[in-house]
Amino acid sequence: MSTHKRRVVGIAAAVAVVAGLAGCAAPADEEDDGVVVISVMGMPAATNTAALELFQQQVAEFEEANPDIRVVGSDMPWDAKTFAARLAGGSAPTLLRVPLTEPPSLIERGQVADIAAEASELESFDELNPRIMEFLERDDAVYGLPEKSYAFGLVYNRALFEEAGLDPDAPPTTWEEVREAAKQISDATGKTGFGEISTNNSGGWHLTGYTYTNGGTMIEQGSDGTWTASFNDEPTRDVLEWWKQTRFEDDSMGDNVLGKQEDLLAEFTAGNVGMWVSAPPDLYPLYVAAGGDPEIYGAAAMPQGGGEATLAGATVLMVNAKASAAERDAAVKWMEFRALRPNYDPEVAAAYAEVSAEDGLPVGVPALPLFDEARYAEIQEAIAEFVNVPVENFDPYVASLDTLAYVAEPVVASQEIYAALDPLVQAVLTDPNADIDRLLDDAEARVNTILEQAQG
Amino acid sequence: MTSAPTRLPVPTTSPAGEAPRHPAPAAAPPRRRVPGMRRRASLAGLVFLVPALVLFGYFAWWPIARSVVLAFQQTNLVDPAEWVGWANFEQLFADPLLPTAALNTLWFAALSLLIGLPIPLFVAVAMSELRRGGALARVLAYLPVVIPPVVSVLLWKVFFAPGENGVVNSALGLVGLGPFPWLQSPELAMPSLVIVATWSGAGTAILIYLAALAGVSTELYEAAELDGASIWQRVWHVTLPQMRGVILVLLLLQIIGALQVFTEPYVMTDGGPANATVTVLLMIYRYAFLFGNYGVATALSVLLAVVLVIVSAVYLRLTRSWSSS
Repeated sequence: MSTHKRRVVGIAAAVAVVAGLAGCAAPADEEDDGVVVISVMGMPAATNTAALELFQQQVAEFEEANPDIRVVGSDMPWDAKTFAARLAGGSAPTLLRVPLTEPPSLIERGQVADIAAEASELESFDELNPRIMEFLERDDAVYGLPEKSYAFGLVYNRALFEEAGLDPDAPPTTWEEVREAAKQISDATGKTGFGEISTNNSGGWHLTGYTYTNGGTMIEQGSDGTWTASFNDEPTRDVLEWWKQTRFEDDSMGDNVLGKQEDLLAEFTAGNVGMWVSAPPDLYPLYVAAGGDPEIYGAAAMPQGGGEATLAGATVLMVNAKASAAERDAAVKWMEFRALRPNYDPEVAAAYAEVSAEDGLPVGVPALPLFDEARYAEIQEAIAEFVNVPVENFDPYVASLDTLAYVAEPVVASQEIYAALDPLVQAVLTDPNADIDRLLDDAEARVNTILEQAQG
Repeated sequence: MTSAPTRLPVPTTSPAGEAPRHPAPAAAPPRRRVPGMRRRASLAGLVFLVPALVLFGYFAWWPIARSVVLAFQQTNLVDPAEWVGWANFEQLFADPLLPTAALNTLWFAALSLLIGLPIPLFVAVAMSELRRGGALARVLAYLPVVIPPVVSVLLWKVFFAPGENGVVNSALGLVGLGPFPWLQSPELAMPSLVIVATWSGAGTAILIYLAALAGVSTELYEAAELDGASIWQRVWHVTLPQMRGVILVLLLLQIIGALQVFTEPYVMTDGGPANATVTVLLMIYRYAFLFGNYGVATALSVLLAVVLVIVSAVYLRLTRSWSSS
């Protein structure tokens, strides 16, 4: 190749690359003819054929009813890491579907929109369960609508209960009983009696949930409105003592206490764990998908230590703070259409249930009602013929939903607080000589620093 | 892309080769033509460089510059970023976890030098002495490097399972040792991570050492042998001094790599138990992606970068005389 030709090729190559980069940076064309385009999370994955078909059918129906709205589905699950980058780059979805623990921090950082004006227009809005909505409302602002909600409970292996001589229909209800049952299971079967997790913020999450059952709180608001740590007290100390005794005196918590929820779920599905604490209805589909036997899945009330309370939360639909008023309005309409109606309109619920059952997905997992009891009963009746879950195994859990108080996760800096509590939980679970009082003092100081910074 | 700069000499040499076709007025014309050619050559060079410059600029240098700026800002990525001066650094230094993370990172670096430096060197020297099976040994030594880091780390997490049934524990049980809690123990967790990091990184070091060993003149060994040197004396007085340049470079790379350790603690322990394996990079990750505090996260990144530059500069200054002597 001659010098000249080389130069020309070189310039052409450079121009092509630069043009390519420029092309990457250019945003896709938006529709300009008055049609609002919203991108929504929560589209089922392509492998989930029946559910995806239902979703697409719903999109078509929705767009027909709302000709000025176009819905673009996204099957990408929630991921805090990519969300931040996409938010910064202006490509985050309009409608966010976020799990259990995210809403407080999203609200705090101002990354989600107040949809009070749009939501209050909905027919079903006033009927939404106030015990769930209180997690999503701050003063007069509404930051999301629930898709499903959860409360902590005791998940247990009915087969291991029988093997250890325990009655699977009468699961333990207090922490003392759980400790005894755990010892009995580990002595009789050699398996882990009570499983525990403590990494990726799950230690702090569980410590919070257990503290509530002893009547304690993690943070409290002073008269001047500022939040401070309130867990350096008996309820939390009792949890830590209980862990220490069950782990080291009884040796009924197994060797691995340093996992996260997925790890313990795998162990539980494999039949190696007698009991543990989680959100039973949320866990059940994952358990079945991983090959767990539905018949031995037991769900009981959250064990109590005098607090008569349980930690509760929800999978929530929220709107990106960068959305325009029209996009907000369209997103809230879609939320109602897709998420609220199946819990509100018996016909829609039955259609959903039929598709899910055909696809082998669990139908009829008892959950915390999104609306009032009467509405819940009506929906249950509509889907009755498609139910494929051994509902009676959830009876003790369902009964507890009426009696226990729901307590939300810390409303300020929840993830930071959990991260600061993980080491405390890990220290108690891995060191037989852990000094609980000193650890609590350290954690309290740390959490107070976090709270000061968060409110500063 | 990267080969573009290496082709730069071509345009200059080619016209020079044509020079004999214009022999006429002696030496003067070529001398006048050279600067013009150089200009054209450097223009062509620049054009060839443009794609690389654009890619590096857009994806590496611009983000670096932005992160320095972000270290002095607070942003929720929705509203315009707010200048906060040194507040991010102040918040960082008020974090009681910072000294723990810094000490843990240094502890990891020290352990990984203690274990990770001599082992590959020893293995490389031993492998270079092999009469047969050298190729197989090289493949086996390099194999762990081929395994994706997260996969190997997850594998080791299984190996390190506590209790008698864990893979490592049952192996040790055969000789009457253990069972050890490994990752579940604040004391053993960090050494366990170092074992994994050494296992997965040693292959590359071994290959580099082997290449350096091949460059050591055999005459030196022969001379040492004639002087009656034992094998250890030959290694100590011939091999190591001949390889010190390579050893020093690898040592620096290892220090920099160790101070940036992330994958092992993130995947295996999440910093636990009880903060025993929280490292600086894990803190950066948590600040950014768990707490959404990009200001403090970038402040710590900038701080780490500054420390690494200082460490490298001091190291190079300290070792310059030794490596060149």
